[in-house]
Amino acid sequence: MTRGLISALLTGAALAAFAATGSAEAKVKLPAASTNPALANAPAQAVKVGYLGLTNDPRNAADLAYTDIQLAPPDDPITGAQMGFADEAIVASGNGYTITMDAQKAADIADLVAKVKVMAAGGERFIILDLPDDLVDQLAAQTKDLPVTLVNASAHADFLRDRCYPNLLHTAASDRMLEDALVQYLKTRNWNKVLVLVGSLPRDKAIADSFKASAARLRLQIVDTRTFTLSRTPDSQENNDALLVTGGTDYDVVFVADSEGEYARYLPYATQLPRPVVGSSGLVAAEWHWSWDRDGATQVTSRFLKATDRRREMTGTDWSTWMAAKAIADAYGRAPDVSDPSKIDQYLRSDDLKLDGAKGYSLNFRQWDGQLRQPLVLSTDNAVIASPPLPGFLHQTNDLDTLGEDEPEHKCQ
Amino acid sequence: MKTILAALAAIVLAGLFATGPALAAGTNLIFVSNEKSNEVIVFDPNFNKVKSIATSHRPRDMHFNKAHTLLYVACGDDDTIDVIDVAKLAVIKSIPTGPSPEMFVLSGDEKSFYVSDEEDSRIEKIDIDSGTSVQDVPTGAEPEGVILSEDGKTLYATSEVADMVHVIDTATGAVTKNIVVGTRPRRFTMTPDGKELWVSCELSSEVDVIDRATNTVTDQLTFVPPGFREEDVTPVGMTMTKDGSKMILTLGRSNHIAIVDTKSRKVLAYVLVGKRAWGVDLSADEKTAIVTNGLSDDITVVDMQSMKPIKSIPAGRTPHSVVIDD
Repeated sequence: MTRGLISALLTGAALAAFAATGSAEAKVKLPAASTNPALANAPAQAVKVGYLGLTNDPRNAADLAYTDIQLAPPDDPITGAQMGFADEAIVASGNGYTITMDAQKAADIADLVAKVKVMAAGGERFIILDLPDDLVDQLAAQTKDLPVTLVNASAHADFLRDRCYPNLLHTAASDRMLEDALVQYLKTRNWNKVLVLVGSLPRDKAIADSFKASAARLRLQIVDTRTFTLSRTPDSQENNDALLVTGGTDYDVVFVADSEGEYARYLPYATQLPRPVVGSSGLVAAEWHWSWDRDGATQVTSRFLKATDRRREMTGTDWSTWMAAKAIADAYGRAPDVSDPSKIDQYLRSDDLKLDGAKGYSLNFRQWDGQLRQPLVLSTDNAVIASPPLPGFLHQTNDLDTLGEDEPEHKCQ
Repeated sequence: MKTILAALAAIVLAGLFATGPALAAGTNLIFVSNEKSNEVIVFDPNFNKVKSIATSHRPRDMHFNKAHTLLYVACGDDDTIDVIDVAKLAVIKSIPTGPSPEMFVLSGDEKSFYVSDEEDSRIEKIDIDSGTSVQDVPTGAEPEGVILSEDGKTLYATSEVADMVHVIDTATGAVTKNIVVGTRPRRFTMTPDGKELWVSCELSSEVDVIDRATNTVTDQLTFVPPGFREEDVTPVGMTMTKDGSKMILTLGRSNHIAIVDTKSRKVLAYVLVGKRAWGVDLSADEKTAIVTNGLSDDITVVDMQSMKPIKSIPAGRTPHSVVIDD
């Protein structure tokens, strides 16, 4: 009998008892992991977990902005994964596993596919991905027949969640989750009228679309959608000058979709009306911010800072690689049946997984799209202003599912 | 102002001592550590604020010595354990520790304490007189709760990240067993007969009961106050009555405490307190429980007989622990 079944049966029994007596009782469950016989005398077994990044990932390009101003972190988020495996080493050892990370970089999709094949042939069951959206898409499609689960830790695009690849999980939050987090906040503040500014890149448009879907769900009003450009030629002035771009209409708040961030960073305090800016600057939604100080977050942030020799503060993507490693190691250490690697994969995807992401909730993956459900943070440069899901935004099964596309609205495409 | 306060305190204290037999040995003062305002606030038994004792930064766990003349306070951001003189209500000494001390326990001879260094993944044994670290036990990341066996030979410690209880031989400083428990294990309480060790697991919303003879988890208890879901419940602080019949558990984000019949494992009552119920202590007569509420910056007084909240009183910023000198 599986752990899930036992707890389901007992939960049912406890609920029945509750209904009968009307008294609130503690449910007594049978111990699960701790009586797992595998824990007692598990033989030591070394396993490798893959990690794939992109050579010269444009998202980490430090020279996007003029004069060396860094818009992206100065190096890639692999430290998060390293820290995750280190944190969980003792857990993985519960089932006798020691995990080492096989980190590689590839230059293009052909190279990526080749590397996944080699990793799979070498017995690697899980591979963490730090890749842009389109490469995650192609890689998942081209390797879906291999016995490998890919864990996407840095691609946010909603369409990846809609692909329903059976071999793909996501610890990075989807765009929709990030926008839902912002929209919940705008709704609580009664900032109902939104001016949307969007850049010319496909990613900018995807982010803006996601925001609009989210705004529609919570009935915000989009007063106008305008395109901005970095060009300062006289004929693009209407789309460049912050006063003009934000003038001629009234709104409560400006939402800016700028995946590079170069336009957005000049927007706060530069709008025609004295209104807050949210989205790519001002109040920003992410998986993590270093100033988050609840739920044991401070310890995580300082461990990370130490692990990077104080080169960088922990970002949302660092959190997501950390979580990917933690999830995989936790599954190795706690899966009740380790007779086959696919059983570990099963546990990783099950509701029995209870991950601690230092955000105060227990986390696991959504069955319908492989997305890790999680609270998010809305922060300025140095403070977390709110952490959705916000009080009052309720869900019939799990309040974390108020962030992101919910099961009934989810369609595989 | 200070002198006025001191004078008031003296009057209050005098009043306390005058009331006689109901108040046994101690001063009956209530001490509340406040993480963000760097103070231990002292209340009299009628919940009037007596004094704010300035401490090192981020005071959290607190323990009295046996004579209740000294109160030790772990101060996480200054890496010290402050020593408060209970008669003077002032910090008289700061003992250096490793990075970010959170929870600690005094040794039986009161010559040393074992402290969990949250940011260093180890438990340190620190000699109180010399203030030096005399033993180091490596643990999983973010060690938290610590408790000693009656004979002082075994130390139990939780690791919040590794989700286990380490069983540590204090003679050698070696971990002799790791017991896998729920997610983010926090604190301990032990039954008076010494047979069971209860550990609160914050994120899996459960309390695991460890049988000490076998060092295995024999029960997993989950707690769901009416109107809440399991995932809203984050159990942390625990204390037990002297006869071991009742256990009191704070339920964190669900803003309740649970009063549990330890034998039957049944919840006798869920009591609504403040936001993020965290620390808890019982008065000596066990008529009152006091709970610290980390997100509403107050403490709630719970009447144990009726199992109802009586009142909430403002404390400092982010109240963490409470101990009662009685």
